[in-house]
Amino acid sequence: MAIVGGGLAGFTSYVTLLHGGIPAEDITVFGTSLDPAAAWRVRAASIRQQHMRSESDGHCFPTSFPGLAVHAARQAGVVPLIASVCNRYRPTVAEFLEHVEELGDRTGWAGRIRLDWVDRITASDGGFVVDRHGLFQHVLLAPGPAGLAVPDELAGDPRVVHAYQPHEFADRVAIVGAGMAAATEWLNALAAGSRVVSIRRREPERRQLNVPREMFSRRGLAGFQAADPVSRAASLRKLLGPSYPPGRGWDEPLARAAREGRFRVAHEVDGEPQVVCATGFRQGFVHNPLLRRLVAEHDLPTHDRWIELATDSTIPALTDGSRTLALAGAPAQWAYPAADTLVGAKYSARRFLQRVRSCPTP
Amino acid sequence: MSYTLRGRIESRLFATLVVLLGVCAVAAALPAFWPLELVALMLVVGVVMDTLLYSAIEYQPGWYALPLGALELVLTMGLARVLGIDPPFATALAVYGGAWLAAQALAQAGFPLFSLSYAENGGELGRAGAIAGAASLAVLASAGGLAWAKQPPTVHLSAGIHQGPLVITRRETLVGDRGAVVRGGIVIRANHVTVRNVAVVGGQNGIDVEHVHGVVLDHVSVVGAALDGIHVRLAQVMVKGCTVSSPAGYTQGIDISFAMGMGESMIEGCTISGGREGIVTHSASVTVMGNRVSATSLRGIAMTEMSMGMIESNQVTGSQGIGILCVDQSECMISRNQVSGTRSNQASGDLGQKGYGIESNFLATAELSRNELYGNAHRVGTFSGGTVSYG
Repeated sequence: MAIVGGGLAGFTSYVTLLHGGIPAEDITVFGTSLDPAAAWRVRAASIRQQHMRSESDGHCFPTSFPGLAVHAARQAGVVPLIASVCNRYRPTVAEFLEHVEELGDRTGWAGRIRLDWVDRITASDGGFVVDRHGLFQHVLLAPGPAGLAVPDELAGDPRVVHAYQPHEFADRVAIVGAGMAAATEWLNALAAGSRVVSIRRREPERRQLNVPREMFSRRGLAGFQAADPVSRAASLRKLLGPSYPPGRGWDEPLARAAREGRFRVAHEVDGEPQVVCATGFRQGFVHNPLLRRLVAEHDLPTHDRWIELATDSTIPALTDGSRTLALAGAPAQWAYPAADTLVGAKYSARRFLQRVRSCPTP
Repeated sequence: MSYTLRGRIESRLFATLVVLLGVCAVAAALPAFWPLELVALMLVVGVVMDTLLYSAIEYQPGWYALPLGALELVLTMGLARVLGIDPPFATALAVYGGAWLAAQALAQAGFPLFSLSYAENGGELGRAGAIAGAASLAVLASAGGLAWAKQPPTVHLSAGIHQGPLVITRRETLVGDRGAVVRGGIVIRANHVTVRNVAVVGGQNGIDVEHVHGVVLDHVSVVGAALDGIHVRLAQVMVKGCTVSSPAGYTQGIDISFAMGMGESMIEGCTISGGREGIVTHSASVTVMGNRVSATSLRGIAMTEMSMGMIESNQVTGSQGIGILCVDQSECMISRNQVSGTRSNQASGDLGQKGYGIESNFLATAELSRNELYGNAHRVGTFSGGTVSYG
């Protein structure tokens, strides 16, 4: 079987498959770096992220327990465990990256990677042809984000830098966006002494995780997955709107800066010398050449910017009792709205594992 | 975690199955069925709460388990009381606590390890959940059936006078109808006998219990026994709500002796009047709680000959000689008692009989706290190496 994508979603899927009893030699991973956190590491550093947004379940282990809080407890005593029970434990970025490195070493990740870019997946008898690498019976596509998003009206503007690219702050800075990255950048810029204008089209939701908690389980998913495609797409657009966590740690610096005249909200850029676009990634399968070609060549049904998926993240038209094609990461949001999280990657991987197990080996 | 209703119930049933396996062992060791009854009540309370209340909780962080567990504890113990299960409080609390901890360990660690998608599935366990649920109910039903089958036969003693001595040699529950009287005493020679609402008149000993355990004397009354109202030797009993009236002479209300290896006995809520000694223990482990003892001619309550136990919340009034005595290397915790009107026994010439409310004698150790002593010839006395400490 093959995992196409060597980022965190691919890595988490690989670890999950190993845990499920799939021999490492049966798994081929196609990626562009030996470090599964290579891209994520740059983005986190760019926005000067200190802690993970998710609580202790945001890790790459195949089981949700023991998580990073349990590991932290080995050194710090029961405090991380108590914090975890109260949803107050958020590992540092450094801890998370160390965990990825250790897990990679332990699972022989580097030995399973083929450093190559995959442009094309073609359905064939008994499986899928992955570019020039031959036939694989089961394929999990975890292609990662399809590039950084910049609003059309700012494209090519020399003042613009994306939040996920390394940058410093000018004296006056406009920060476009209202999600977690934008909120982090507001505080970063204020801490650097800048005057900040928050450019936003709509007010962000305030919640701890990027979708409501019940959407991580069948409690919220059942209704979402049972909805007709139009309603489902509308739900997804709403669920995936900008949000950042509630709390004084966010509100107090902003309120103080607003009183000092250093922070305000506006609807458009107005002559600021620097524009930071904290606008995430380009959304939708059309921005990913691999997925776009897959859809076109196999005439796959799509809705809005998503490929239609079964609830187990597989592509129904290309999955049957003898082969599996599934998505993981952001492209799998049609099945699981939080698919672009580590928990979401595990959702896809666990169901992929079930498919693989129930499928006869040719 | 965001549970579905089905997930909550399946998780609860699975955890109950694990708990049941442990509780069956506890029930067999005691032996008693109340642990199983308690677990059944916990399950009922839990499922009702899952359905009516918890299903409205969209997301449940781990710490919710504490207040919800406390709420279920109160409801479970209250329901147990209403249904008359009446388990020993501390042990019941330990059983509940163990079950709660086991359930938490499963929810936080066991289930996520056992089922990778446990959280995503809202706590639903699929086929395993259904099997575990069926197994839990089957174990409970089997235990209930066994408990029913092992219930001792109940014998009703009709109103009127029955000539004794009445000798009980099998496990049974003897229930007296209103006005049922046994003349000449009851002799118990079988384990797990319960005697309830029976009056005894006369006999050498009113009720004689020897070489058995698990005997319950519930609201019995004894009048005019020649020696002991209730006479216990090498046995373990629970005596509650009894009434004993002893004639003058060398008589005792309740005497539990030579039972140190038989487990703890208990005397609770009895009213005892007259006789030389009201309640006395020799070489036994006994809790004496909430009794009223009056008008004894030697001692009201006495723990002797290396006995151990608590003497708590009793009223001892109008004793001659000693109100409460701890003697002969016994270890007594004496607390919250009211002792009043203890008179000196001038005729005995014994210094220890000079009307002490509480006395520790001959290497005994008495720990006293919050006792009320008034109108006694002397308050507290120690003799022959007996010691008293105040907690």
